[in-house]
Amino acid sequence: MAPPRRYRRPRTTLLILVLASVTIITLDARGGFHRITSGVRSVAADAFSPIRGGIDDIIEPVGSFLAGSVHYGAVRQQNQKLQDELDQLRTQQVSQQEVLQQMKQLTALLHLPFLQNLQTVPAVVTDFGTSDFASTIDISVGRNQGVQLNMPVVGTSGAAGQGGLVGQVVQRNDDSATVRLITDGQSAVGVRYGSSANSLAVLTGQGSGKALSADLVPSNTPLVDGDVFYTSGLPGASYPTGIPVARVVAHRNGLTSAQETVSLEPEADLVHLRYVSVILWGPSA
Amino acid sequence: MFGRWPLTSRVLVRVGLVTLLFVVVQQTLMLDLRVGGVHPDIMILLPIVAGLVGGPSRGAWMGFATGLVADLFLPTPFGLSALVATMLGYAVGVATLALDRTAVWLPVVAALAGSALYELVYGVLGSVLGQPQMLHVDLVRVIAVVSITNAVLAIPAMGLVTWALPAASTEGVPTSPLSSGVAR
Repeated sequence: MAPPRRYRRPRTTLLILVLASVTIITLDARGGFHRITSGVRSVAADAFSPIRGGIDDIIEPVGSFLAGSVHYGAVRQQNQKLQDELDQLRTQQVSQQEVLQQMKQLTALLHLPFLQNLQTVPAVVTDFGTSDFASTIDISVGRNQGVQLNMPVVGTSGAAGQGGLVGQVVQRNDDSATVRLITDGQSAVGVRYGSSANSLAVLTGQGSGKALSADLVPSNTPLVDGDVFYTSGLPGASYPTGIPVARVVAHRNGLTSAQETVSLEPEADLVHLRYVSVILWGPSA
Repeated sequence: MFGRWPLTSRVLVRVGLVTLLFVVVQQTLMLDLRVGGVHPDIMILLPIVAGLVGGPSRGAWMGFATGLVADLFLPTPFGLSALVATMLGYAVGVATLALDRTAVWLPVVAALAGSALYELVYGVLGSVLGQPQMLHVDLVRVIAVVSITNAVLAIPAMGLVTWALPAASTEGVPTSPLSSGVAR
């Protein structure tokens, strides 16, 4: 039996719109059209960049004011004057620590040992991902600073580490860019490990906050926790050679499998990223 | 064509303004508001509320348009948000046909359930479309944060969308004993 007439039209509308969406997704995934969507996304990001900045500038003082008001109410019951002074000192201490931390990160970023003669552009991390379904960051440099698609991005370590690979530029706008982190499920990095030049593997992301996984590591490979995997730099690779990517945190002999199960933590501190460096390098360079 | 009423310039401007407001709030306030590493997604509210206010067609149209706008700012496949939001707007419109759309609880419940459904379908469809990492996220946390935020914001969103769209739709809703038959 045919559906009542009143339902036909909404269903036709739904069908048309679903087909349109599927067509857009298909075209976007197949080359040519992707350039157009990428360009439109870039324009949208450029247009929104000043709005974001402006609104952040407005919100920050308001947030500070509100936080201050709440704090004021609590300290009033005690000794207001002394508490205010204490708060001031604490704030100073925190901000000094923050400045010191920032200086430390910047200094470390300028002296990353593995960069050698590679030309870099420093950048501030402006946002941690616009989607809950992908591990990306937004940075403050773009096309105008020489940033191109697929350029590698590096950062410092939280502790005494030497820093390492952060990800790859996947979208560049005039003065900003989006970087896909190595922990993203779409990320795959060709790496070298151990002393042999033939020990090659691929590190794949498993999602934000999760350890990386190594593919193609043969079973019973003598690995030690703490072993560092470096970018392979094979011809045509997406990254220059010798950049630390991740450190082994767990490995298990695959008794029945041909591969070792290896979990690795990124060398760069991806959780507390404030500054990064974009390496002005492409596979053809 | 935009559902059952003509797409006048007034409607266009108002819908555009409401969408712009949602985009600005999403791209500024909501991106900074993270709960357990997850941020709210208020763009989903537009098709849900449009489906409530105007019925399946308008919900679907609103979902398609706002989904495409949202896709401009997301690293996921272009058109995926539009696809899921289109189906969501339509589904909300159909699911609430038999309900009293003036009930105060309806937008809240629709936002809660609709947002959860959206995030689930979005993750699964994304995974099917070659983005397996979209199922590697903590989906329960994403659903909880997005659904609860949208439920809280459902009433003001309803007010805005009602202002933007013309008088409530009667699409699929019997308006008189005569019109409740097969043909209308």
